[in-house]
Amino acid sequence: MRLSHMLFRFTAVGLLILLAACSTYTPPASTPAPVEQPEPEPEPKPKVATPPAKLPQTPPRPATPSASAALQPLLAKAAQATERGEYEQALALLERAQRVDPDSAEVYLGMAQTHQARGNAAQARATAERGLLYCASEAQCNALRAYTR
Amino acid sequence: MFRTSHLLLKLAIFALVVLGLLMIFLDARITSTFSEKMLELSAKVYARPLELFAGAALTPDDLAYELQVLGYRTVSAPRRPGEVSRNRSRFDLYARGFHFPEESEPERLVRVEFDGNRIKDVFTGDKRIDLMRLDPVWLGGIIPRQGEDRVLVELDDVPKVFQQGLIAVEDRSFYQHWGFSIGGIARAIFSNLRSGQVVSGGSTITQQLVKNYYLTSERTLVRKLTEVLMAVLLDLHYEKDQILESYINEVYLGQDGPRAVHGFALAAQHYFGRSLEQLDVHQHALLIGMIKGPSLYNPERNPERALQRRNVVLEVMAVQEVITPEQSAAARAMPLGLNKQQRIQDSFPAFLDLVRRQLPQDYREEDLANRGLSIFTSFDPLLQRQLESSTAAVMDQLDRSGKLQSASVVTRIDTGEVAALVGGRKARYAGFNRALDARRPAGSLLKPAIYLTALERPDEYSLATVLSDTPLTIKAAGAKPWQPQNYDRKAHGDVLLYQALAQSYNLASARLGMQLGVDQVVDTLARLGVEEGVPRMPALLLGAGEYSPLDMARMYQTIAAGGFRMPLRSIRDIVDANGEPLQRYPLEYERTVGLQAVHLLHFALRAVVREGTGHGVYRYLPESFAVAGKTGTTNDGRDSWFAGFSGDLLAVSWIGRDDNGVTGLTGGSGALKVWAHFMARTSKEPLAYRMPDGMQTQWIDDFSGFVTGEGCPNSRMLPFIIGSEPRQRTDCAPRDSDTKDWFKSLFGSNG
Repeated sequence: MRLSHMLFRFTAVGLLILLAACSTYTPPASTPAPVEQPEPEPEPKPKVATPPAKLPQTPPRPATPSASAALQPLLAKAAQATERGEYEQALALLERAQRVDPDSAEVYLGMAQTHQARGNAAQARATAERGLLYCASEAQCNALRAYTR
Repeated sequence: MFRTSHLLLKLAIFALVVLGLLMIFLDARITSTFSEKMLELSAKVYARPLELFAGAALTPDDLAYELQVLGYRTVSAPRRPGEVSRNRSRFDLYARGFHFPEESEPERLVRVEFDGNRIKDVFTGDKRIDLMRLDPVWLGGIIPRQGEDRVLVELDDVPKVFQQGLIAVEDRSFYQHWGFSIGGIARAIFSNLRSGQVVSGGSTITQQLVKNYYLTSERTLVRKLTEVLMAVLLDLHYEKDQILESYINEVYLGQDGPRAVHGFALAAQHYFGRSLEQLDVHQHALLIGMIKGPSLYNPERNPERALQRRNVVLEVMAVQEVITPEQSAAARAMPLGLNKQQRIQDSFPAFLDLVRRQLPQDYREEDLANRGLSIFTSFDPLLQRQLESSTAAVMDQLDRSGKLQSASVVTRIDTGEVAALVGGRKARYAGFNRALDARRPAGSLLKPAIYLTALERPDEYSLATVLSDTPLTIKAAGAKPWQPQNYDRKAHGDVLLYQALAQSYNLASARLGMQLGVDQVVDTLARLGVEEGVPRMPALLLGAGEYSPLDMARMYQTIAAGGFRMPLRSIRDIVDANGEPLQRYPLEYERTVGLQAVHLLHFALRAVVREGTGHGVYRYLPESFAVAGKTGTTNDGRDSWFAGFSGDLLAVSWIGRDDNGVTGLTGGSGALKVWAHFMARTSKEPLAYRMPDGMQTQWIDDFSGFVTGEGCPNSRMLPFIIGSEPRQRTDCAPRDSDTKDWFKSLFGSNG
């Protein structure tokens, strides 16, 4: 699931860059910006032509390359802490995970789960709602939506 | 006879009682406050630790700078903690390790390899490290009551030679006496009698400390007596080493602009650009010599006198056998060795000011009693450096006279943490902190509150609602009729709602605000986090009131986060001396405005920078990088504002004059430049939120606001809350088209 998810992300970014390239706006003279764009994946993928009326989604941004190697151990530790009932520690770990990858919906999901486990449904809901701004797959979005009802 | 002696006895008893009471009073004063003074000195404030992991967006130069601020020494092969060698994009560093609140980071030899502007790999030996963090930059100490920032040292970190030299020169019998020295006082009295005036203090180190802490500098006998009594009491209650440590951190050693240089650690940085530990003996001697007259022996203003005084100190050090006569002679032959370069002084008074104010009141009283408090903050030295240099670069270009001032606040949009703060053009000097304390009208920076109020009513308003940008007169009870004007003094007729915000039209905005009601806009502002300084009157719609850059950051943080209000935090954790967490400031989201409405507002704020008053940002940023923002200009250009955000950072910048004079700048020609200069060099993520559920896009005729087809004249794509789309349609059928607008380009729909 992660692989296809990544492929989708890269394809989406590729499309974004292609589109940006044919923008009608003329680029300004000098742009000293050190903002780097990830390389688009050349992989061809069946294009899903979504007419605007059918809820086009902003393509999710690419995951920070290999940030997941840094992220996963933190998420695992946080999940264990939540299971042990050590919610403060779990949240501290998740906040650190969020600093490593601020746009990871997984981190938001972990936070929502922890808030829910400690009985703070309002905070679980608000956190999941914010996570929904970052979720990239239907499964991920649905997992977050479960906390918003 | 009997009566006289009786009287004398009475007098003596009376005097003893008075003295006793005085002692009790002074004793109470010392025991109740001295520990606090010492403890306040030891509360340490740290920056955020730099996280290192494969994939981290970090440039090699950023890492080099962080290590430099941390004081890592560049060597050819690191062998001890705190050493680093760099070979282009590869760093070998011996990390110092650190005890963080939750867990400890070990000291270890680490290799960090870069690939362009990202970390490629982090190794220790052959083992890959998933995630590690460097020790955090120490920002200084905090003395809550006095409102100063200092660089503090513990006695263990003060070189022994320095300690011995200090005692040799200032107070030879420090470790023997009871807080005062009879010999010293006798000598002082003798020289005072001889000259007929008070010329010498004869003070011990303990007395000097008492004088600095508690007493004025007047030279009267009563004050002197109080000083001696308090010194004795201090000596009774506290260890010699505690007193010496406090003295080393307290003593006054000159001025740095408006800032008093207190303590040897700060003086070492100020005069030599190095830490006290790194100084040579001749530099130690110079600092010790300055105690006698920080101004008279100031090495920058009076180098010759300072040199003479230093050499006297070096001779005394040799006579007292602190150093050998050979060392003394060699040191005396040295030049002053002042740091002439521009200082990389890790002093961040504006941010420390914020931390101090955010320390909860109860901390100042209760928990400061824990010696060795550590305060972990969200301060980011890398962002701070760029914010300072962007401010300097733009301000030098805009204003050579130095009359204009500037302040900026930077937060991380995901957490609301304040990462960098500039309170004035001279960012490294403590002074008026404009980021927190300059209270100005916000001009059009408040307009998003009007538009958000409207967009939260999808039954009545959408981005395509036609507004009327035509003259109006607003009559309020008891006030003069008010006729707002557009910046260009023209009326623009019918405009779409998003265009009115993008072009910052005052007439359309005031009309919309009056339709919605001022109270409704005040309510929205409160939900966005702005509650103070908001006048409940029509002029609010065009930015009346008093707002600091931090207030505006709070408002835009809520917007940037997607409609979630959160406090702008500078403190993450507070930990006691044993590493036990005293308080954690957890991240909490509170959704206070409609998610969908905020998404629509984001669109309009993106239109500001794509085609409206903020289009100047794309002279700095690459075309493909999505950001959103708003300009603000107040009457006659007294205040120039810009607030905006990308996918990771929010920044609010302000330019104006302290005397509230005219700047000649608009938001777009002033503050925008600081903002964009900074963002172009720091932001790593473009704005790219997923569109919330229950929304869709639609092609709209940009003139009529009617639904139209793709490829039709004046067509453009706008987002809508489902059901809020315009009812009317143009008669144009959709057709294939190559026209792309910036918003459509975000969607992969017809790529």
